[in-house]
Amino acid sequence: MEKLKKMFCMLVLCSLLIIPTLAGAQEKFPTKPIELVVPFAAGGSTDVLARLVAKFAPKYFDKPLVVINKPGGGGVTGTEGVVRSTPDGHTLYVGYGSGHDLVMPHFQKLPYKTFEDLVPVCLLSVHSVVMIIRGDAPYKTMKELIEWGKKREQVTASVSTKAGSVDITLQAVGKATGLKIVTVPFRGGAEAVTAIVGGQTDSGGNHPSEVISHIKAKRLIPIAVALEQRDPAIPDVPTFKELGYNVVTVGSVKGVAAPKATPPDAIRYLAERFKKICDDQEFIQAMKDIGQPVMYKSPSDFGKYLQEGYEQYGKLIKEFNIKLE
Amino acid sequence: MNEIFGMFQGLINGFGIALTLNNLTFALIGALLGTVVGILPGLGPAATISLLLPLSFKIGDPITSIIMMAGIFYGAMYGGSTTSILVNIPGEAASVVTCIDGYQMALKGRAGPALGIAAIGSFIAGTLGVIGLTFVAPPLAEFALKFGPPEYFSLTILGLLMATLLGGSSILKGLVMIVLGLLLGSVGLDPISGAIRFTWGFFLLQEGVDFVTLAMGLFGVGEILYNLEKEMKTELVTRKISHLWPTLKDWAESKWAIVRGSFIGFFVGILPGGGAVISSLISYAVEKKVSKHPEEFGKGAIQGVAGPESANNSAASASFIPLLTLGIPGNAAIAMIFAALLIQGVQPGPFLIAERADVFWGVVASMYIGNAMLLILNLPMVGMWVQLLSVPYAILAPIIVLFCCIGVYSVRNTVFDVWIMGIFGVFGYLLRKLDFEPGPMILAFVLGPILERSLRQALLISAGSPLIFFKRPISGTLMGFLILFILFQIIMVIRKRKAGKKSESY
Repeated sequence: MEKLKKMFCMLVLCSLLIIPTLAGAQEKFPTKPIELVVPFAAGGSTDVLARLVAKFAPKYFDKPLVVINKPGGGGVTGTEGVVRSTPDGHTLYVGYGSGHDLVMPHFQKLPYKTFEDLVPVCLLSVHSVVMIIRGDAPYKTMKELIEWGKKREQVTASVSTKAGSVDITLQAVGKATGLKIVTVPFRGGAEAVTAIVGGQTDSGGNHPSEVISHIKAKRLIPIAVALEQRDPAIPDVPTFKELGYNVVTVGSVKGVAAPKATPPDAIRYLAERFKKICDDQEFIQAMKDIGQPVMYKSPSDFGKYLQEGYEQYGKLIKEFNIKLE
Repeated sequence: MNEIFGMFQGLINGFGIALTLNNLTFALIGALLGTVVGILPGLGPAATISLLLPLSFKIGDPITSIIMMAGIFYGAMYGGSTTSILVNIPGEAASVVTCIDGYQMALKGRAGPALGIAAIGSFIAGTLGVIGLTFVAPPLAEFALKFGPPEYFSLTILGLLMATLLGGSSILKGLVMIVLGLLLGSVGLDPISGAIRFTWGFFLLQEGVDFVTLAMGLFGVGEILYNLEKEMKTELVTRKISHLWPTLKDWAESKWAIVRGSFIGFFVGILPGGGAVISSLISYAVEKKVSKHPEEFGKGAIQGVAGPESANNSAASASFIPLLTLGIPGNAAIAMIFAALLIQGVQPGPFLIAERADVFWGVVASMYIGNAMLLILNLPMVGMWVQLLSVPYAILAPIIVLFCCIGVYSVRNTVFDVWIMGIFGVFGYLLRKLDFEPGPMILAFVLGPILERSLRQALLISAGSPLIFFKRPISGTLMGFLILFILFQIIMVIRKRKAGKKSESY
């Protein structure tokens, strides 16, 4: 008898647990907190972007956004996790358009299809590649660097990783200017910045957010940006195109993606709310302070932009015959 | 003179900020949390801080949240030694080397003195580190920037030579471990060419094997597997406790180790890419080298606890220097604090002292207070921790394995690393059975990749000329030491041989 009583109590308790889930099934998206998966380590520029977005989210989203870092494999591991997650719009990938999406597939076969297995939600920011030199170097502009470099055996340039967006862009600069640029790979953007600030290399390539404080301190001088148009994060810096060198890349694109079968309603909701954050003046200012421009694009525009960026890198890699030895 | 006055002025203002009730509370929370994650094997300060990032925005004031995060970081350095000493499992990556002699001390019933000297050493070194941070931060940070690839190469090759000293009785076995460590360190993408090495198709191995995973497997799981074999004792080491506190003799033996450890930690902590782990390994090697009784190392030498435990604390304080004065984060935990500052609209860097003096001095002052809190927290707990050892191993072991799994998982949020830890656990068990010492392997694993990377980077910079290692002043000096060291060893061998021959002829 005692046993039966206990079982009955358990049944009642269990049914209580089921009620909210049943109710939830009928509710509109989102029904629970939305996970923003960052496939890089906490503290990096993509992570800071995601956390800033999450900080502003409560104003516009009906559920909180939670940032989860899943670093590994240069971004492949975390992205694969999102690809294989339940496609209900509650698991998103932040950083869509990074090196492992636009550059790595040209060298390695990935465990998923970057463009078929993910759907674009929106673009948030673009981390352009900016060429930098030390504030006390004997050259102060691109022109002076070229003059200086032509008299020398080689011009070294610190980059974050081998065959990443920065490395490929700087190799392209070498080809376009006729300089013998030797890229020296470091372990990530922060180490590459340390090297150029310490005067270990003649020049360097970085994303503006990584060097903005050193630019303000006049330790580093940005000499050219490899974008089609100037980067709003550093509007005084000319593009390579303006200087007469045809080096244009999309840099490292930072958008949001969802697994492919995510319902269009959820995508619409997400894109709309992210747009509101991108229009928020306080958010724009906070992004500006950390050297990241806010660049919103709708799902379809973003998709096209990514495709173009991917092909652009493919062309550069072929043109300059860049290989992984 | 004016400058020094300004520093004192800043520090006094900083104490004004740090001593408010709110900031004191959060410093205490940070120190407590840090001690706990330090004690729990695998769970490290970097993972903890990243978990708490969202909370830090809720706190609102960036000073308060950074005070808490800094507390977690240096608090973990205090806690890490506890697990190493009591159960031979590193509570924190930087306490790996403390296992060697700390646990031997515990086995001899001297767990109390080991814990005590670790806490006192940590306090002295931590405070010395903060004093350095207060007074010599900017010029030292500039000096550290001069450390480029050639300097790293020279420094690591010196360190690797010292690794041979870490080994036990057999030189051959030590060499085998070094080679294994180098091989393991080469897993992942080739740092210069981008080629894929030894990953067997696993993308998660492309960035190499994580240090925490390796350490928890080799030391944590390996130790437990080894103990399973022994007959189950209800308690491991509590049976005979001679005394709870370090004696005057202990203190006399370890005071210089603490001083040396503090300086090594401070120096290595400032270097970009340096940090608590490397400094503790170097300190151990140095202590063994300078000791008059190197044969005692590995058998419970108190200097083997005092030195490394001081070094990791001093390094923790010192690693704030490049962050706060240059805006350069030197290791994972500091990178997290960097991000937290950025998100709250504070830009760490050369302007921080001028633009946000409140943040700089507030955090610096809180570190003096935090270190004192940690000493007060940790010393009375020594007795309690020793009691913990009376928990039956059958209960303690599964709990340790559980925390190792959680800790390793927390580094990258992936189960894959837990499997890797298991594999290293079996490997660690085999090493113990075959009487190989894991120390040299760990050092080679840490230094090998730096050695390779810096050699190739330096040669890229010099267009292939090895003269770069001798031409630059710091690197040249280090190379000079290296040559002297090798010559010294050769002379010693020759002398020994001669002496041997003479004694034979008699």
